[in-house]
Amino acid sequence: MLKIKNLHASVAGKAILKGLDLEVKTGEIHAIMGPNGSGKSTLGNVLAGREGYEVTDGEVLYKGKNLLDLEPEERACEGIFLAFQYPVEIPGVNNTYFLRAALNAQRKHRGEPELDSMGFLKLVREKLKILHVSDDLLHRAVNEGFSGGEKKRNEIFQMAVLEPQLAILDETDSGLDIDALRLVADGVNQLRSKDRAMIVVTHYQRLLEHIIPDQVHVLADGKITASGGADLALQLEERGYTWLEDGGIAQVSEAVGA
Amino acid sequence: MTTAASQSLDQLAQSWSDQMAAMPGFPVDGAEPSDGPAWLEPVRRAAADAFRQKGLPGNRDEAWKYTSLRRLPSVAPCLKSVPVNESDGSAAWQSLLTEPTGFGFTIIDGRVTEVASTLPDGVALQTLEDALENPANSTIEERLKALVESIEYNGRSQAFEALNTALLGQGLVIHVAEGQDAGACVARWGQSSEARGHLGNVRIFLLLEKGAKLAYLEQYLGPVGDAAASAGESTGQATSVIIQAELGEQSELSHIRLVKQPEQDILLTFDRLAQQAGSHYSYTGFDLGGGLARHEITCSLKGAAAHASVNGAFVLDHEQHCDYHIRIDHEAGETTSDQFFRGVLGGASRGVFNGKAVIHPGADGSRVQQSNANLLLSDRAEIDTKPELEIYADEVEARHGATVGQLDERAIFYMRTRGIPEDEARRELTGAFCRMVADRVSEPSLAGQLADLLDESLPQTSFK
Repeated sequence: MLKIKNLHASVAGKAILKGLDLEVKTGEIHAIMGPNGSGKSTLGNVLAGREGYEVTDGEVLYKGKNLLDLEPEERACEGIFLAFQYPVEIPGVNNTYFLRAALNAQRKHRGEPELDSMGFLKLVREKLKILHVSDDLLHRAVNEGFSGGEKKRNEIFQMAVLEPQLAILDETDSGLDIDALRLVADGVNQLRSKDRAMIVVTHYQRLLEHIIPDQVHVLADGKITASGGADLALQLEERGYTWLEDGGIAQVSEAVGA
Repeated sequence: MTTAASQSLDQLAQSWSDQMAAMPGFPVDGAEPSDGPAWLEPVRRAAADAFRQKGLPGNRDEAWKYTSLRRLPSVAPCLKSVPVNESDGSAAWQSLLTEPTGFGFTIIDGRVTEVASTLPDGVALQTLEDALENPANSTIEERLKALVESIEYNGRSQAFEALNTALLGQGLVIHVAEGQDAGACVARWGQSSEARGHLGNVRIFLLLEKGAKLAYLEQYLGPVGDAAASAGESTGQATSVIIQAELGEQSELSHIRLVKQPEQDILLTFDRLAQQAGSHYSYTGFDLGGGLARHEITCSLKGAAAHASVNGAFVLDHEQHCDYHIRIDHEAGETTSDQFFRGVLGGASRGVFNGKAVIHPGADGSRVQQSNANLLLSDRAEIDTKPELEIYADEVEARHGATVGQLDERAIFYMRTRGIPEDEARRELTGAFCRMVADRVSEPSLAGQLADLLDESLPQTSFK
């Protein structure tokens, strides 16, 4: 579904990604872990198409198409969803309008009929129920005055409504207490599907106790330096990122290859 | 240096003075007294003299320096319109809102054409002509006299108020008795096809006794139907309105003003409020079209805990111009005021916000808030914003802010990552920005309709 080859990207002239390779297949969950400054958030932003992130080399193929040629809204319509590390507050724009406009733009792109307000509300109420989210949310302005946990849950709720094929969760666990983390992780697990791939970007292993990934990758200095199964995250948690820098990589890579 | 524009304004002022002198029964020296009470004649004469001496304001006058009246001579060469054909008058108005049920009146081309005959209990509604000749009681006459005389003419800046008094005649007097809730009064301002090219002068008096309530909703609209089609080619018209309101103790006046006029037109409004203890005034203005609209609002908070909330949105495009000049005087303790304005400017439009609050000595414990934020959608659009505070009392809480900017790019990106096209995201965020003013209208159905009107009026030149 997603093939990233030798991706180089820079922000304000500074090289951040330096030859990143990654392949994600439909139905898989990949975790990307790494220390601060390794390029984790840059990857999410490049995939979503944020301005100011310049791709200097390499390519990203999504469902066989060159993803980097598409505008952010076209990527969304093609099924990509980025859950933001810092969801944006939009005063005066209510969630119902926001989600319906987004969903209908995507349906229109796919050649499906747009949903009227009755049809939309029916759909949204089902999703609220599955995620155990109160329908107060619909009447509030997008993220305005939301707590950190509410903002992250709203991201997952949007994902549930938009049903993307590839979801990128950018440090969705940051700033959450244990209870909020569990709620968010439960939401993500509800949305696991054989038709949907996810990339979970995180600094800490704790999110991966709740969302068990198929593969774990370590991002350091703009490259994937190690890949392994779910237990790689545990080892990292135990030994710290310095363990890899001190020669742990060779052991892990062997383990993967074996 | 005399510019061509100021020269023609001077000529216009001279021409208007001559027109006044030639009006039958106009109180120039030696003429027969006009209709109306004896006290009015010297007041009108003094106002006409003040106007003749000072002339019209221009960019040399601080309060008018951004308000270009250069088109005034072509828009309003005449001071008085011909009487409106009744059938045309009633056809010349079509509401933009589903109006609340209530009483009201219609003013076409600056002339009162229709006044409700069925009124709620405790409400008196008279045309000004009628009220001057046959006042409902002597108290009302005394109050009208005091109000008319209370306006002082200090130079050119008040030329239009002087003119309005000199030509006093068209208008309404609304009185709400003690403790009565009058419900909604709907004021329909419209235009016919036949009387363009003039300045209409109207005065409205709103007298609210202790504990009285009134919702005053006015719409200033252009001609409709065939008249609208031909209006595009005509010169436009100008309207000058003074509202003088007295709010008794604990009374409440909610005032909504919607302006959507042809782009040739000029609208000048002067709202003057005197508020007793515990009274509430709320103003919500929506300027969605017109050539030039200038609104002066003066609130005098005379009694303790009086409150004034003055809010407005202007959405401008092309060469439209909207000007707000607000002054709130806190003259008693624990008085509160807030001003909340949002401007969206596209094309080569221009907006002006000059909001001032003065907390006078002794008005301790007063609170003031001011907020004016503007979005410029075009690099040819311009906004001049000047929030001002003067504080001469103790333990006062005051906050103010003004911003001029563009849309939040992070919000646009966020919306795009959900699939919303960039243009729609920009449009929605712009709408949301000014809908915050509609949210301040307490009646939900009106607030919703006004929000929709704001959305529909967003500058077309700025969105695909």
